[in-house]
Amino acid sequence: MTTFSINGQPISVDVAEDTPLLWVIRDVIGFKGTKFGCGIGMCGACTVHVDGRAVRSCITRVGAIADASVTTIEGLDPAGQHPLQKAWIETQTPQCGYCQSGQIMQAASMLKDYPNPTDVEIDAVMSGNLCRCMAYVRIRKAIKLAAVELASATHTGATSHE
Amino acid sequence: MVKRILVGLIIVLLVGTLGLFAIAWRPAIEPVAMPAPSSFAADLVGKGEVLAAAGNCASCHTVNGGAPYAGGRGLESAFGTIYSPNISPDPETGIGRWSEAAFARALHQGVARDGSHLFPAFPYDHFTKVRDDDVHALYAFLMTRPAVNAEARANTLPFPLNIRALQAGWKFLFFKRGAFVADSGKSEEWNRGAYLAEGLGHCAACHTPRNRMGAEKSSEAYAGAIIGGWFAPALNSTPTAPVPWTQDELFGYLRSGATALHGSATGAMSEVVHDSLAKLPDADIHAIAAYFADISGAASTQALVEPAVVKAMAFEHRATDASDDAGANLYAAACASCHYNLGAPPLAERPELALNSALSAPGPSNLIHVILDGVGRRDGMPILLMPGFASAMSDADIARLAAYLRRTRTEQPAWSDLEATVSKIRGQGGA
Amino acid sequence: MSNFTDRAHEDVQPFQLSRRGFIIGAAGAGFTLAFLRPDEVFADPAAAVAARGFEPTIWYHIDNDGIVTVNVIRAEMGQHVGTALARIVADELEAKWESVRINAVDTDPKWGTMVTGGSWSVWQSFAPLSQAGAAGRITLIEEGAKLLHAPKEACVARDSMVSAGGKSISYADIVRKGNLARTYSADQLKALPIKEPSERRLVGQPSHALDIPSKTNGSARYGLDAEVEGMLYARPKLPPTRTDSKVVSIDDSAAKDVKGYLQTIALDDPSGTVPGWVVVVADSFVAANHAADKVKVNWSSGAAAKVSEKDLLDHGSKLIDNPKIGSLVVADDGVEEAFASAKSKIEQTYTTSTVLHFQLEPVNALALQKDGVWEIHTGNQWQSLILPTLAKALGVGEDKVVMRTYLIGGGFGRRLNGDYAVPAALAAKALGKPVKLVFTRADDARFDSPRSASVQRVSMAFGEGGKVVGMQHHATAGWPTQVMVPSFMPKGKNGEPYDPFSISGADHWYSVGAHRVRAISNDLANATFRPGWLRSVGPGWTNWALESFMDEAAHHAGIDPVQFRLGLLDAKGGNAGDGKSAVGGAKRQYNVVKRVAEMAGWGAALPKDTGLGIATSFGQERDMPTWSACVARVKVDRATGAVKLEKLTLVVDAGTIVHPDGALAQVEGASLWGASMALHEGTEFENGQVKDTNLDTYTPLRMRDVPELDIEFIASTEAPVGLGEPATTVVGPAIANAIFAAVGARLRHLPMRTAAVLKALAEVRTV
Repeated sequence: MTTFSINGQPISVDVAEDTPLLWVIRDVIGFKGTKFGCGIGMCGACTVHVDGRAVRSCITRVGAIADASVTTIEGLDPAGQHPLQKAWIETQTPQCGYCQSGQIMQAASMLKDYPNPTDVEIDAVMSGNLCRCMAYVRIRKAIKLAAVELASATHTGATSHE
Repeated sequence: MVKRILVGLIIVLLVGTLGLFAIAWRPAIEPVAMPAPSSFAADLVGKGEVLAAAGNCASCHTVNGGAPYAGGRGLESAFGTIYSPNISPDPETGIGRWSEAAFARALHQGVARDGSHLFPAFPYDHFTKVRDDDVHALYAFLMTRPAVNAEARANTLPFPLNIRALQAGWKFLFFKRGAFVADSGKSEEWNRGAYLAEGLGHCAACHTPRNRMGAEKSSEAYAGAIIGGWFAPALNSTPTAPVPWTQDELFGYLRSGATALHGSATGAMSEVVHDSLAKLPDADIHAIAAYFADISGAASTQALVEPAVVKAMAFEHRATDASDDAGANLYAAACASCHYNLGAPPLAERPELALNSALSAPGPSNLIHVILDGVGRRDGMPILLMPGFASAMSDADIARLAAYLRRTRTEQPAWSDLEATVSKIRGQGGA
Repeated sequence: MSNFTDRAHEDVQPFQLSRRGFIIGAAGAGFTLAFLRPDEVFADPAAAVAARGFEPTIWYHIDNDGIVTVNVIRAEMGQHVGTALARIVADELEAKWESVRINAVDTDPKWGTMVTGGSWSVWQSFAPLSQAGAAGRITLIEEGAKLLHAPKEACVARDSMVSAGGKSISYADIVRKGNLARTYSADQLKALPIKEPSERRLVGQPSHALDIPSKTNGSARYGLDAEVEGMLYARPKLPPTRTDSKVVSIDDSAAKDVKGYLQTIALDDPSGTVPGWVVVVADSFVAANHAADKVKVNWSSGAAAKVSEKDLLDHGSKLIDNPKIGSLVVADDGVEEAFASAKSKIEQTYTTSTVLHFQLEPVNALALQKDGVWEIHTGNQWQSLILPTLAKALGVGEDKVVMRTYLIGGGFGRRLNGDYAVPAALAAKALGKPVKLVFTRADDARFDSPRSASVQRVSMAFGEGGKVVGMQHHATAGWPTQVMVPSFMPKGKNGEPYDPFSISGADHWYSVGAHRVRAISNDLANATFRPGWLRSVGPGWTNWALESFMDEAAHHAGIDPVQFRLGLLDAKGGNAGDGKSAVGGAKRQYNVVKRVAEMAGWGAALPKDTGLGIATSFGQERDMPTWSACVARVKVDRATGAVKLEKLTLVVDAGTIVHPDGALAQVEGASLWGASMALHEGTEFENGQVKDTNLDTYTPLRMRDVPELDIEFIASTEAPVGLGEPATTVVGPAIANAIFAAVGARLRHLPMRTAAVLKALAEVRTV
């Protein structure tokens, strides 16, 4: 039995400790927005936050996140209106969309480290997230757009996300 | 290995026959009625708790997930596996009927209550330095723990190494009994640090290389050593870390488990930081940091820190443009999202590989361990989680990645036999 | 080429518009608007709707609240096709865009052929959808006029309202109060006024795609997300070969320790799709995955188990050496004479490696039987192709199988071949329970229908004054169409059938004198794996050879590569174009080449070891040309052989652009795909299997590799054509030509690896 919180709700799951967190999230808890792409932590489609930082859930054992706080794309913002989500729509970034939950979660984590990221930083950090439709130009643009909104929100003391 | 054991055997036999009877025999100390827990003052028990933490007693005397101090954890040595005994106050299987004198003799001389010699896997060569008043407190702490009935597991040492009496010979050759002697030329803080590090903390047990007989080489104190498949880095004046340690860095590392300029405590060192040192007050951690800062000559290297960081950070961009550099591709796919940094100093939450001692160590074992098994939320920097890639990367993948990181982020010679080393460490199973 | 396209399009195109009428009939709450069967007459439109007299594709429905639901039979895989198609209807209908919904339909015979590929969707649908929208608009105006008591000539429709003289009524009210029932004969339909391009309010205007919001918040549902109560999970164990393995024995004793493991079954497949397959079943995917690793299967396999990439390429070369085989796709007279009398000649050979689709969502399917009907829940691009196979595998009629539609986590042609649904169906049948079959990434890679390795030999003959007088192009590769839909294969000029998708692109619009194009099936490839259609298919290799060769030919002739191409794009004779989609012919290709050269600063001085390279394409098919041109700028590191792709400049003339931002996204993605296949990705066969099965060694382009992109569309009101693929095929040769311009090294194999660059550089030095 492993206990942790997901999207703010406490949960206990009765699965082997070495069960990948991804499948616990998808098939035990039922949040389907987190995707399975490569299973080896190299495409980023399964990215979620553990205690606020991006983690590849497909290679993370559920036992390793006991007592941690897990956030999936469904919990990034209660209304799906995180500045990144809005920017993703504004820039019409998703094509097939399969990687985008992971892209957004990775970007949200990155913006905590680099609130005003340069192309170099975005390229380095986001290269772990494969977009097979290759919507990279728009992902980069959307991150910058969201960074501007987040900066102004922080500046005016508006709500912080997550 | 066989040769090493044979040589050891011959020496032991020679020494053993010469002085066995003269020096080996120790009397048993009579068992006592188990003292009532209420007979120990609470503040004494509290002091003992901190000291037990400083000695990291629980680490060796507790199996993963088992009852504290009930023993049974296997310590692998070149000679075989030694299982730690039960030191909970159980009258039959633990130390419930040990008098304080018997307990003190075990710590100071490596002799059990019944007069038998303990193996030096128990670091009595360090605990001999522990002051009597601290022994007193430790005894009070252990005797007030819950008693657990658990028989000791049999060791797997081959004959004749399993003959405890022969340990007298080892002691004759390598053990120097005696309390800690303060250095009046050093500060009180330094001496406190030295007392903790050399005594209960037994830092050298991992960080000093051992000779064929398993004794610490006094001539190479803190020169770094391989232990349990990990590399315990040098703490003397020849460290391999790309950036010299300062007293502040040492304090930060020992206190929190990670610093931006040196990386995270993993493996056994993570236990030391999070289970052992965590219970010590800041003053003690400062003292230990002061001691190691001194013996590593940190004062003279302080000025090198900043340029060393700048230089190491520049390595990030040594990466090639070649689209088919397999190591670079692996780094981009699997590592950079969390580890990439731009400019000095790096963010502590983004452990910078160019500064990581695992990359600059003489051997690749620490890096391979971490790639395979990751770093737990309770290891290294608290909360920060690195998943292991054991199921994700092949031996060849990890070898390519390690070679790439070594090549692009250090100026150290390339590691050899990487793929075989990965395979070997993988075969030893996860931490 | 036209031979093929007539046939293929007839099969996949919904209908010939000219032969059909149109009905508007009450259905449920609101009205359904649909095309009639050819020459069919219904007195009562409602009866026609009830009797399903429409055929084959029902287009849209307007309900009492004025919500317009456009049924979309095309798979949504990132091209936002639903948005594009709905906007065509809504524009002619004058519907308010906010009232328009998309309904991604499940399979049903009433939809006609369901296929999404070849970049055909918008091109095929534009005219019928426009007509359908116009018929709706006219009818709403007629009924609105009555309700407003105004002459219909005075009424204007706009934003889901009909207005006249200051009065107006909403479409919702017209639907509720009016009687829209109508029947339009084919002739009447043809006479309906279609808007002038200048009148378009949605088509060609910026808009947000309807499928995007759900893709930002986790609510979008893909095949992998499908689940039903009580389903079991399964993971396949793939045999050593694709076509001829048999199970000898199964030992699952080690798997029995896995908690949740249920059983392992060998599939009996009457359809022959998955011979020798074994699936491992458990109560969770994690358990099925672990158990599958522990189940030991012993197979017997044929010769394919030993085939290597080199074998495939060597076999291809041998096939090309034999002039007696293959299909002549272009067979002008006088080729022999042109070459025999040439003043000079040039010949080169080009090769490409195997490429994986590596769509990010590994293939998967959920199969179950409900009320006597098999439901297959999965994302798929060509339902009409796999349905008969599924029916055969399950031993039921096609009417007993329905495919439920899901978003596709990447298509790129992989899901044109629905073979992955078959083992799920077989397992569900064998177990009598719903089964969700999930492929791991490595399973997916091994079961991919990859883009075949190819070998091509191209030659050109020059006559007096350097005039191009003849050209030959011989190409061989595994042929997906031969393996999967042989009925789609037209016959060449010599009567031999050929896979049109595997040679298109070689029948180019350059005027080269006597031209011969020969397509040869690589039978060893076909026997070793199931070749697939991968984004642009044949032009992925034919244009690599053609445009690399055009560069070599230009240098051979001592002419600037842009000028050389412009000189051959004279739009004369057979290259003058037609009155349909290829209006203007080669003139339009000339224009994009010229424009892209201007934009990229062709001819300007560049830093050391930096070069520009050009390539152009007409897309896939001569009757649906998407005129594309690209200039790549690269910098080559002579010491390491590393090629840094700095910039891609692209110009595309795709006629009318329905959804401009979506079109731009397609070209962005397609051009980066081209870059990825040129420099980053590619695999090899080794012992009958692809060598690279996951991202540790298969390395598609990532964010850090993205060059600067400068993309321009030619403003046009010509027929809209496809956009998903053409940009893919110009980037590789543009990069190779740029490398040559930068350092003089000529690369003739895809992907271009550093070792090959170094080797070519060494050859330059020794020359």
